[in-house]
Amino acid sequence: MFNPRSTKDPLEKRLKLRRLRVMSGFSPDLFREKAVAVGSHLNLIYFWDKKWFYVAMLVGTLMLQLPLPDGLSQEGLVVLTMSVVATILFVTEPVPLPTVALMIICAQVLLLGIDSTNVAKSLMTDSVLFIMGSLMLAVAVVKQKLDKRIAWWLVRITGTRTSRICFGISVTSGLLASFIGEHTVAAMMLPVGITLITLTSDDPKKVRNLAAVLLLSIAYGCSIAGIGTPSGGARNAIMIGYWKEFFFDPTNSETYRFIIDYMKWMMFAYPIFLLQLPFVTFILFKTFRPEYQDMSRAVVKLRAQVEKEGAMKRADWMAIFLFFLILIGWITVSSNIGMGTVAVLGAAAFLIAGLVRWEDINSGVNWGVVLLYAAAISLGVEMKDSGAALWVAEHFLALLAPLGADEGFGLWAAVSALTTIVTNTMSNGAAVAVLGPIVLKVAVAAQESPIIIGFITAISSAFAYLTVVGTPACTIVYASGYLKTTDFLNVGWKMVLFSTILMLLIATVYWPFLGV
Amino acid sequence: MSKITKTMTEQETRKDRFRILVSIDGSEEAYQSLRYAAKMGHGVDADIVLLYVRPIDQGLRSGGLQVRIARENMLDWGLELPGIKYLKKGYEILLDMGAAGDDWHEHNYHYNVDGDPLGDNKIEYINKEGKVIVLKLKVATDIATGILEQWELGPYDLIILSASGRSRGIAKNLWDPAVAEKVATHAQCSVLVARELDIGHGHLICTDGSEKSLETVRKDAYLASRCECPVSIISVALDVESKEEAKTFVETARKELAAMDIKVVNAIACVGTPVDKIIDAGTDYSVIVLSDSGKKGLKRLLLGSVATKVLQEAYTSVMVVR
Repeated sequence: MFNPRSTKDPLEKRLKLRRLRVMSGFSPDLFREKAVAVGSHLNLIYFWDKKWFYVAMLVGTLMLQLPLPDGLSQEGLVVLTMSVVATILFVTEPVPLPTVALMIICAQVLLLGIDSTNVAKSLMTDSVLFIMGSLMLAVAVVKQKLDKRIAWWLVRITGTRTSRICFGISVTSGLLASFIGEHTVAAMMLPVGITLITLTSDDPKKVRNLAAVLLLSIAYGCSIAGIGTPSGGARNAIMIGYWKEFFFDPTNSETYRFIIDYMKWMMFAYPIFLLQLPFVTFILFKTFRPEYQDMSRAVVKLRAQVEKEGAMKRADWMAIFLFFLILIGWITVSSNIGMGTVAVLGAAAFLIAGLVRWEDINSGVNWGVVLLYAAAISLGVEMKDSGAALWVAEHFLALLAPLGADEGFGLWAAVSALTTIVTNTMSNGAAVAVLGPIVLKVAVAAQESPIIIGFITAISSAFAYLTVVGTPACTIVYASGYLKTTDFLNVGWKMVLFSTILMLLIATVYWPFLGV
Repeated sequence: MSKITKTMTEQETRKDRFRILVSIDGSEEAYQSLRYAAKMGHGVDADIVLLYVRPIDQGLRSGGLQVRIARENMLDWGLELPGIKYLKKGYEILLDMGAAGDDWHEHNYHYNVDGDPLGDNKIEYINKEGKVIVLKLKVATDIATGILEQWELGPYDLIILSASGRSRGIAKNLWDPAVAEKVATHAQCSVLVARELDIGHGHLICTDGSEKSLETVRKDAYLASRCECPVSIISVALDVESKEEAKTFVETARKELAAMDIKVVNAIACVGTPVDKIIDAGTDYSVIVLSDSGKKGLKRLLLGSVATKVLQEAYTSVMVVR
């Protein structure tokens, strides 16, 4: 009989298996022939893999054949088609996403007949420079290894109760993320969370809920903070770029209010972040009841581990000092010299001070993302110029009119809901880039303040708590392998509901005081 | 030059060996299929490869900051990246079952991969008789691609991976085909999609009388005798008139197996919709065994096949034989 403890078989049985292998057609020659035969129809399968690319192209071709709808120019139809095709590709990802950026650039020249130099010029704006500089700064900050210092401060202040530690993690992640970007802080805090989990128990099953609470405290702490300042996430910079591009006219002093600088953004959005903070821990604890109420053992071990680092070194202080300089630069001079300039200056300062190697920045930044945002913003501006954005906005409003949601509070809620749906299917930066031009024109057509509608879109785009792909912080925390996709769903919907209500409340009660 | 010849001879010698690729994702389901694999691959002429695929972020999901930065940071803290723990647990299961031993030679390999600080890693355990057990940590754009890329390094005779539940409806499948399905469609060797794969209940081979399905019968005879599983046969006729025909198909298959010195436990010939009948009958067995679809090219894409449908809807494990 079969004995699982033996790897040595009687010779007879081995021979029988050998004979069967040859008889059954598993012999080497047949194997090779088969591989070749299958290879001949492999191409079709690869075609099938990219089916969404062909679907998108087909949709695009069909749209271009349509008779011109009322009120839309030929140019507008082409730009609208490009947006629809790009959106399908953003959501389904049949090709690497930077490819979409390259295609947008080509289509602007080939389909719209814009001079290629002008297309190239439209790619780089202050917003794109800001996104690029912030990413370089993000890598520079993570490379400073300040995470152990942060962990040390964190456990000193919070003590050992699980709920206090989680709240502490959310607050720390949030406060940092609101200035240096959610992805940066998620990457920095992730080891802190996982270390606490592994020090509590080696068996992942015993700490499932604890892991969910700790790691989601980081992810959601970072996500809710990303809305706080323009440097919190790329989407904020994109919206600022759109406001300027759409409404700012240097000859008209009335339009100066559409220049939203760092400080002004914070006045609008920072209170929302602060009010959300306590509820993150509350909602997480109500959803996942952690197995351990007290984490003294893990905290003691963590303390011992981080104390090995010794005192703060000169380089550490230098890094903190530089970052404060950048922050002050953003707050005070960014309205004159541009936020992008400050970000790039900061990245240069870190390199000059020798605090980060260029090689680290080069491998840590996904440059394709910069290209993608550049192309998406350029397309968004084209949406405005060709009148396509206004046309879509008018139809969108007509759709909302029967529901009574074509003005005021109803419209705000509708825009927020639309953004939340879109942002859960693609990255939030892409969501703002695609939706921005349309919602701003909706505001114009409905005679609402474009600033309020713009803020609602930018802030709602952070409500991607439901899926792993929604926000950068969720993606990074998920990459640790400790969470399931269903964890995000279980708690995410409560967060979405709460955040939406809070934002609409703030928009009604608080924003009018800011004079919009 | 020498490296190329080495890999070529390596692949040449592998052709005589029975090689199983088991995808480990940390789930209980996967460890259960690993136990099955250990049973199937317990002879000295069999190798078992445990694979964990770690997806890397290629898009803008992480907001332009590469996931590798976060992973480098985890390594700085002395934390293990996901996957290593799962593979180690798998190896312990094999040790427990006696399918691996402490006295085996251990070799470590490392390959740099863009986008991940650790890259691809491989630990190879070889015993004196040349039997190999490999723990492989692989970086790929997604899990299915990782498994298929590993096949190309192979060759393998059988891929075992756990299903991510039953079918989730056509729309969902078109949107995001399950890993198991993608591998089962693209792989060029037999694929066993495991659902609560238990050892005891034997194989149910489906035949439609074609030369292709007889080939499947022969091949599965080999696979089943590796794990000493009992074999049964089913053939489904579309209408009552052709039931006799189905009976002859079963008979042919039985003869084929008798020639290979293998007894058939149950021989079923019934009437009805093939997919439903096979799934119903399959509930009594460990594994339903099917031929890869006879259709090729465009037809296969548009019409699907019995194999694909059974794969999506069955309650038990399904093996597609190639």
